[in-house]
Amino acid sequence: MDATERIQAASQFLLQSPPGEINDVLNDIRNIISDDELLEQGIHPALTEYNIEQFTVVDVPETNHQSIISDVARVGSSLENEERFLDPRSRLTFVFDHLSLEASDPQPHEPREEHEPFRSALEAAALNYLKAHFNDGVTAVFSPREGSNSYILQLVANKYNPTNFWSGRWRSEYAVNLTNNQVSGKILVNIHYYEQGNVQLTTTHNVSFQLPSGVVGAPPSTASAKLLALIEGEEGKYQISLNETYQEMGEKTFKGLRRALPLTRQKLDWDKVMGYKLGAELSGSKSALPSS
Amino acid sequence: MTEVIDSMLDLMRRLPPTRTEENVQALVNICPDEADELLQSVDQPLQVLVDRTTGREYLACDYNRDGESYRSPWSNEYDPPLDDGAVPSSKMRKLEIQANEAFDTYREMYYEGGQSSVYLWDPEDGTGGGNFAGVVVLKKTMTPSTPNEPSGSWDSIHVFETAERGRQAHYKLTSTVMLHLITRRGSEGESKTPADKNGPENLKRDGEVSLSGSMTRQSEQDCPLNESASHISNIGKMIEEMEIKMRNLLQEVYFGKTRDIVYDLRSVDDLEKARRQRDLQKELVGFIKR
Repeated sequence: MDATERIQAASQFLLQSPPGEINDVLNDIRNIISDDELLEQGIHPALTEYNIEQFTVVDVPETNHQSIISDVARVGSSLENEERFLDPRSRLTFVFDHLSLEASDPQPHEPREEHEPFRSALEAAALNYLKAHFNDGVTAVFSPREGSNSYILQLVANKYNPTNFWSGRWRSEYAVNLTNNQVSGKILVNIHYYEQGNVQLTTTHNVSFQLPSGVVGAPPSTASAKLLALIEGEEGKYQISLNETYQEMGEKTFKGLRRALPLTRQKLDWDKVMGYKLGAELSGSKSALPSS
Repeated sequence: MTEVIDSMLDLMRRLPPTRTEENVQALVNICPDEADELLQSVDQPLQVLVDRTTGREYLACDYNRDGESYRSPWSNEYDPPLDDGAVPSSKMRKLEIQANEAFDTYREMYYEGGQSSVYLWDPEDGTGGGNFAGVVVLKKTMTPSTPNEPSGSWDSIHVFETAERGRQAHYKLTSTVMLHLITRRGSEGESKTPADKNGPENLKRDGEVSLSGSMTRQSEQDCPLNESASHISNIGKMIEEMEIKMRNLLQEVYFGKTRDIVYDLRSVDDLEKARRQRDLQKELVGFIKR
């Protein structure tokens, strides 16, 4: 395998990291590739992609809150591996280090004033929603970028519990378009449980709806509160529907794959199993016949 | 310094179980020297093959592989054919045939479908004693007939070693179950009549829930030995116990643990309201005490 292919493989591994385990994965990769120089040169794009896709949270300098690293938070183009991201809440941009996950060199950022009333109202409502339903959540609300009509509301909640071998991440993103009054969003949940095993829950949920008339044209604070109530309703419903999915999977799929006990409701009599064999073949041959 | 193989195994414990095969392949390409040990240590989904002689389905895994060929437990032949493929001794083959029949019954009783295969190998010391080893593999797949029907697969791999000690035998069992469950949901229909009048219009939803993974457990046991066939019933009982235990464990982890973690991330109930209520209660208690 040449150097490019090795970096490609390493990048693929990195992008599959479960919540909160990127450093563990990176350590494994370092030992497997055993060429730190090659890795340092080539792994940066994958780290960037991971942080952006996974809504990595960052402590914003000079503030006591966190913000989200994502595609819409990107400001300008990247220079010599130095990338700036925006925290709309503090109106600061900062340089983000994709390996150490630290922010530095905060600079003031002038927002587009015409978007700011709705953006900050949406942010305030999102912060309230976050407090009401998430234990460790971070949210960021962005004004429409050039060429777009959508405000972007992002939310991420992480819980890492390596001592008990589990981690979890909830991500939501909503694009709120005030021109055609459409909202489209997605919820992504990733859970990893790895005590003597490796079990992962991965869910995707896409939702879109038209803003009701009560929201359209209302003052920013009213519209934002109503919109967040709709999001709260949708996310709550989704969480409850997950329970139903679990139940269905448990009752249909899981039971259909392997019974808890045979139809006889008894464990096998292994000493008689050779005797059973004949009976099983007789009854089994029936279902093997083509159904006409 | 950590051994490379340990880093590979740690990595495989973290990466998505749905992508085990491609990730193992990538690791093999990066470090061909570690390939054998990796393939022996990482359980991969079993492949269903058809025995060309008998037409019966059997399961392919690392344990019945010789080069690029796999041996069928039904005809004892390799596919693609091998002239010098490793086969068990005639004594071991006799036991293997009985074991395959017994586990075929077990499969029908618990899985009501699917495939099973048992592969045995002779003791390495060549004494011809009873210290043989083997693997019992079972698989069932549910394929949906429509996109929104749930689908899934179960793969069991039970590797065992036996050691005869007079009229007793000691068994060591390592069991892995791989379980994948997928449910897709799409709901165009419900958009037309919103239950809540203040609710949003033209609501569209779709999504997918995937629960997948593997768990491994070990057990050891001493059992009495009366005749050669009782190895099969001893191992059978042990595997049956283990699968019952693991099925409960999988149920607990898949449907209990992962759900609890989702609820740790997000609360359906309003946490602020609960906090306010607690504060109010504290205030009241303080007020009464005064």
